[in-house]
Amino acid sequence: MIRQLIITHDPIDETALLADRKMSAGMGAVVYFLGVVRGEEDGQAITAIEYEAFQKMAEHQFNLLFEAMAKRWPIESVRLVHRIGVVKVNEPSLWVEIVAPHRGEAFAACQWLIDEMKRVVPIWKRPVASTAVG
Amino acid sequence: MRVKVLFHSYFKDLTGCAETTETLAEGVTLGALHEKLAAQFPKLGAMKKSTLLAVGVDYQPREHVLKDGDEVSLFPPVQGG
Repeated sequence: MIRQLIITHDPIDETALLADRKMSAGMGAVVYFLGVVRGEEDGQAITAIEYEAFQKMAEHQFNLLFEAMAKRWPIESVRLVHRIGVVKVNEPSLWVEIVAPHRGEAFAACQWLIDEMKRVVPIWKRPVASTAVG
Repeated sequence: MRVKVLFHSYFKDLTGCAETTETLAEGVTLGALHEKLAAQFPKLGAMKKSTLLAVGVDYQPREHVLKDGDEVSLFPPVQGG
């Protein structure tokens, strides 16, 4: 299974990621998900979220999840980008792509990966008030 | 033995520091270190039930026996995505 993991301060470049997609002739499904910062957190209006990662552990935990995925589903490729630092409202903080033979395993694996990420990968968020964003 | 302790996310605010070093007796468990830190940093103690514990880059149970040079991390529930 091809794996690509990027944890970065840089904005997520969807166009470049889509252009870089690779899949073999046997693949019939591509699912990708974009997590976008909402303008509200716990009922309060915000302008951004600041993400913090314990990078080396986050990379390790993502890789454990990728290994578990490879055992559970016939996935050809998983690519995941998570932004850290300040991400403004309406900007993506997460991009995930799964390439698999059929849509069932692609959807299931994508959902599972995001659920597990939210359970074990050490990344945290802090809402940013409007006065704190430049 | 000495272990390095890292605090992540808002636990840095609760303790007033990003890291500290603890000198411990041989055979001390992760849970025992957590109890010691909770007493040392009362605001951290208030979060004890929801605190996640790791040694290096892996989660470990409270019964995990620490060794000299370990890097222990304490942090709140994760929130990626």
